[in-house]
Amino acid sequence: MHTDSMLTSVVYLIVFPGLLFLTVYGLFLQWVDRKLCAVMQNRMGPPWYQPTADLIKLLAKETIIPDACDTLMFKTLPYFAIAAVTSALMLIPLWRTESLFMSFQGNMVVVVYLLTIPTVTFFLAGWSSTSPYSTVGSMRVLTQLFAYEVPLMLSLIGPAILAGSWNLSEISAFFSGQPALIAAQFIGFLVAIISLQGKLERMPFDIPHAKNEIVGGQFTEYSGRLLAYFNLAVDMELVVGAALLSAVFLGGAWGLHGVQGLILFLIKTLAVTFLLALLKVLMARIRIEQMVNFCWKILVPMAMAQILFDIFLKSKLG
Amino acid sequence: MSEFAKEEELKKLLEDKFGTGISAINIQRIRRVWLEAAPEKLVEILEFLKAAGFDHISTITGFDEGENLGAFYHATDTHILATIKVKTPLSSPKLPTITGIFPGAISYERELEDLLGIKIEGLPPGRRYPLDDEFPKDQYPLRKTWKTADFQAARKAAASLIKEAR
Amino acid sequence: MSKITIPLGPQHPALKEPENFMLVLEGEQIENATINLGYNHRGMEKAAEERTFIQNMYLLERVCGICSHSHTTCYVTNVEEAAKAEVPERARAIRTLVGELERVHSHLLWIGVAGYEMGFETLFMYTWRDREQVLDCLELLSGNRVHYSINTIGGVRRDITPEQKNEVLKRINFLEERTKYYIKVATEEPTVRARTADVGKLPYDIAIERGAVGPTARASGVKRDVRKDDPYLIYDKLDFSLITHDTCDVFGRLVVRALELMESYKLIKQVLNYLPEGPITVKVPSRIAPAEALNRYEAPRGEDIHYLKTNGTDKPERLKVRAPTLANLQSVTYMLEGGWLADVPLVIAAIDPCMSCTDRAMVYDRKAGKTQVYDWEDLRKLGIEAYKRRGVDFTKL
Repeated sequence: MHTDSMLTSVVYLIVFPGLLFLTVYGLFLQWVDRKLCAVMQNRMGPPWYQPTADLIKLLAKETIIPDACDTLMFKTLPYFAIAAVTSALMLIPLWRTESLFMSFQGNMVVVVYLLTIPTVTFFLAGWSSTSPYSTVGSMRVLTQLFAYEVPLMLSLIGPAILAGSWNLSEISAFFSGQPALIAAQFIGFLVAIISLQGKLERMPFDIPHAKNEIVGGQFTEYSGRLLAYFNLAVDMELVVGAALLSAVFLGGAWGLHGVQGLILFLIKTLAVTFLLALLKVLMARIRIEQMVNFCWKILVPMAMAQILFDIFLKSKLG
Repeated sequence: MSEFAKEEELKKLLEDKFGTGISAINIQRIRRVWLEAAPEKLVEILEFLKAAGFDHISTITGFDEGENLGAFYHATDTHILATIKVKTPLSSPKLPTITGIFPGAISYERELEDLLGIKIEGLPPGRRYPLDDEFPKDQYPLRKTWKTADFQAARKAAASLIKEAR
Repeated sequence: MSKITIPLGPQHPALKEPENFMLVLEGEQIENATINLGYNHRGMEKAAEERTFIQNMYLLERVCGICSHSHTTCYVTNVEEAAKAEVPERARAIRTLVGELERVHSHLLWIGVAGYEMGFETLFMYTWRDREQVLDCLELLSGNRVHYSINTIGGVRRDITPEQKNEVLKRINFLEERTKYYIKVATEEPTVRARTADVGKLPYDIAIERGAVGPTARASGVKRDVRKDDPYLIYDKLDFSLITHDTCDVFGRLVVRALELMESYKLIKQVLNYLPEGPITVKVPSRIAPAEALNRYEAPRGEDIHYLKTNGTDKPERLKVRAPTLANLQSVTYMLEGGWLADVPLVIAAIDPCMSCTDRAMVYDRKAGKTQVYDWEDLRKLGIEAYKRRGVDFTKL
């Protein structure tokens, strides 16, 4: 590989839009989310630097590793979570129509696959901590994974069928070309937003770490630096999830490039965050068995209906 | 005394049923009836009262009268509070359990055991309540002979001993 | 999957008060639950025997932060009954008023806590914001937000002016509107229904058998309310209805409390419009001849019962306090068994537990293991010094 392109790749990975951008934007979205919830709940909410301050505080704190846990797993899992989320971002078209790195058929599936890895690390983290709260939490992580993963994937298939492509860039290009079709994806988008809420383990689906029941859930035994990384991974997942939905359902960059594209990207992810925050404040947390029932009995049929509709639409459009 | 009609009725009912088994039956004021009974009669009286609609034990109040320990059982049909006083000698204080009739009374009985040292016969085993696990098992704080100051002095002495040892 | 035993408390985010539940889980379902109490025993009954009647009033106010008025009213009623003192009607009306405001404050607090426990933080934030209104009313009337200290032996400490009356009425009208909204949210929001319906079942028979009291019992269809059954203060002159519900679950307890709020607003308005003219205190001697008194009070959480025995001195011979939570805790283990782990905090919260009411007796405090023991005097000194450092000196007073 040429030295120049190598250097560009490194800059991509580390600075922009890689780790550094993802961290900063993840923290910013966390603040937006918290502030929005606060305003909706008639509270003040945190100042803009609060998530950063929390991160720095946690990084500086002592990391306690329980004797009973699997030390190697316990220590390395947060890095896996962050790595998986960052890799997923590289495949999503952000402020231009093409993905940053590999634009190939099927990269949508790879993104969904990569986004599953953090959830698996959450499960392993809880399981390797061996405390009762973590164990129950990690069981819930897995149960919940089987609940939301299917509707999420199904909801993404609809647009892919309509666009006739498994490439995220091509899907967003297709929708920027025919904006009217975006409205036809309403049900699919709804299912995707709700499943994403489940994936991010936010209220009303924060069942795996429901603080009133099982304290910190899978992260109960985590502290200091390792907990900071896990929290960061969750924030990054929010960015990537919002970016994925904007690429698949909202037509991505609309063919724009550079700064204009970036602004559009920010607007779209903020809009998705707003919807996620709205879901968070509107409802009470449901039970795990209600979550599974809801996902399989309501979301999956809805997503299926959307797919059937898309197939029908495709045959009409020729 | 039509004002106390219900209370009089209850008094008559109890007198007819138990006769000399109960004593000092007294209508203190409206909705307050007090009586005294022997510990052996307690369960029988409460069973009778429960059948008569007194299906709630508000609480059990333990007391120390010097020679005797004892307890008040406050039963109620929600309107009238019928209080049964039973005594038991300080030398070997014991009372029968009423959890057979009122399962909800279990914590009140544990309180009698823990705070006054009245042995409750037939109480199912369980963790002590309400005192701390480390509290000496042979001390009963609600007895009149138990003084807070003595206990505090003993605690302080023990604490300073530990301090010196360190 | 093997069974997991989960300790819930004495330190747990869902239970801010010290109690412990050992839950044996089979998957997500609870197979067995045992309750351990006594983490917070403060020795109040013993302490009361060493204090005068007036001092005890302030001690008993601290039995519980939320139903502070309930305990003192029950206690002063006992003292007045033993001393055969006739309390002026106006004082009794003011006590009733504060008692009802306290119920409003407690029930609003409970609705918030229930929202929090079911993971509905918005409801929690909203009710607690509105609860400020009633706390302001209490502050306006008594000068304090939580420990109102409005009672004194023989009457009340403060009178109510017409301006105060209007201000309270204004705020109560506002709260009435808000409560209607909460009733709507609680009964119509699907996730709230999903989380509360058929959760923590307590059938009528079991509620009677285990001696449940207050809203917990009333939600199981048990018609028990001391205000109706054994009227104290001026409740026999007021018009209100006894709220019951027959679903026997957490949803029922939510509805009962919400509707009781509406009844309380009604009562507050009636009392404010009734307020007879006259003195607010009567003199009661400090030494009280030997007597016994037994009184009940419908605290926000249920029946509160006090027994008092006097012996001719200025200190009680025996004082017994039974707070409603202790009566209700026996029902909790029944409600938990067979339920879901996710519902545990909600079921426990549904009886509105107040452990500080329940556990009373120990007289010492420890710090840093056993190496340092503070007794009452030491603690007092510490407190005085701490305030001195901040520039406030109480010793001069």
